Amino acid sequence: MSNSTVTLDHLVDWLARYRDLVTEKQSYLTELDSAIGDADHGSNMMRGMTAVMEKIGASPAAAVDELFKSVGMTLVTSVGGASGPLYGTFFLRMGMTAGAVTTLDGAALAAALRAGLEGVVARGKAESGDKTMYDAMAPALDALEANLASGGDVADAAAAAFAAAVVGRDATEALVARKGRASYLGERSAGHLDPGATSTALLFEALAGALAKPQP
Amino acid sequence: MIGLVVVSHSPQLARAAVDLALQMVQGTPPPLAIAAGAGEGIIGTDATEVARAIDEVSGADGVLVVMDLGSAVLSATLALEFVTSTAEVRLSDAPFVEGLIAAVVLAAAGASLDEVDREARSAMDAKRGQLDRPATEATPSAAATPAEATVEVELPNPDGLHSRPAAVIVKTVSGFDATVTITDVTTGKGPVAGNSLIGIMSLGARKGDVVRFGAVGAQAAEAIAALDELSSSGFGELES
Repeated sequence: MSNSTVTLDHLVDWLARYRDLVTEKQSYLTELDSAIGDADHGSNMMRGMTAVMEKIGASPAAAVDELFKSVGMTLVTSVGGASGPLYGTFFLRMGMTAGAVTTLDGAALAAALRAGLEGVVARGKAESGDKTMYDAMAPALDALEANLASGGDVADAAAAAFAAAVVGRDATEALVARKGRASYLGERSAGHLDPGATSTALLFEALAGALAKPQP
Repeated sequence: MIGLVVVSHSPQLARAAVDLALQMVQGTPPPLAIAAGAGEGIIGTDATEVARAIDEVSGADGVLVVMDLGSAVLSATLALEFVTSTAEVRLSDAPFVEGLIAAVVLAAAGASLDEVDREARSAMDAKRGQLDRPATEATPSAAATPAEATVEVELPNPDGLHSRPAAVIVKTVSGFDATVTITDVTTGKGPVAGNSLIGIMSLGARKGDVVRFGAVGAQAAEAIAALDELSSSGFGELES
């Protein structure tokens, strides 16, 4: 039977998987960031997601809005770099849109993620091709919505989103940065993957992983 | 007085910039709070700390937030969603050190949020003037109205009209209902607005230059008399 609903357990599993991925790839993310930024993206994201899992472990949320608000605020206070307010805004907006519910269907998940992306855009003013997390997140959302529209379940849609995020991430390699610390490097920022797009691809890898398995 | 919030990746940088700025203030400094670092020695910014700092200094006159770069700006914009105070909060696009100094001096002189914001934004012009480059468009332009009262003084300050005497002039001018302009007659630079620290500094007036103060407004004569008097002590720098 296919997954048609996303539960709070799925969402917590998503976050735990994301924490595991940024922890596993911490050195890699920092290495990418040292090429074109300030060499702290891996440690920042690991610290932030570790704090998130401690927080929601200590005080489990009863509803989706509560969960994502807690996640967003914890990232805002613990990450330190630009990814704090950016990922923080992403989760805060997701929570506001999802509301006080305990499950999300595909459409509600897509709406929440879309609101998160819009929050990132409002905060960071990034556009397509600026070599930022937007370049992985926007195609991921487009793919997720398209998959749902053509009848896919949330597992299919999340897998499609992950695949599109990877394509988007890889496309940042050739781009010249127009936002963030990397933009100071101008043309020299080309030839490197964007660290933010890379951590965003991990976010969708974690989502695909959490929604692919049968509900525990 | 408006409140000021200083947002930086580094607590040391914020503290040092604030110390530098406060050197320029004689008397009561404006309410000022720092939100810097991401805790535990981590370089970064925290939007909830920025919101706390804004709430701490906010009063009826509003708050200006001066930031360094990158995530400091993102955290400050996000902080606006968390503040509980209803005071007007403005995020300054001024350069961190120059803008903060200008903002602290003008805020201490009792200037409005609009005036402090404008002054901070034109803060690079003092440096531009020192390097003989044209001012940016943000520079407050002095009124072209003929002055109702004027005085010309020979500048006695050994280091010219640098930041501290300029701050004294700004504070003095702000105490009168008058619009004051300042011209370096010797070099032909100016006029600049007498309530603009950066404008005054951009004159680059040196010891021995003849400086003309002109004023219009209800207290024009009083303002000019006060400036004339202050000039004999090098605007607080010399034993009079």
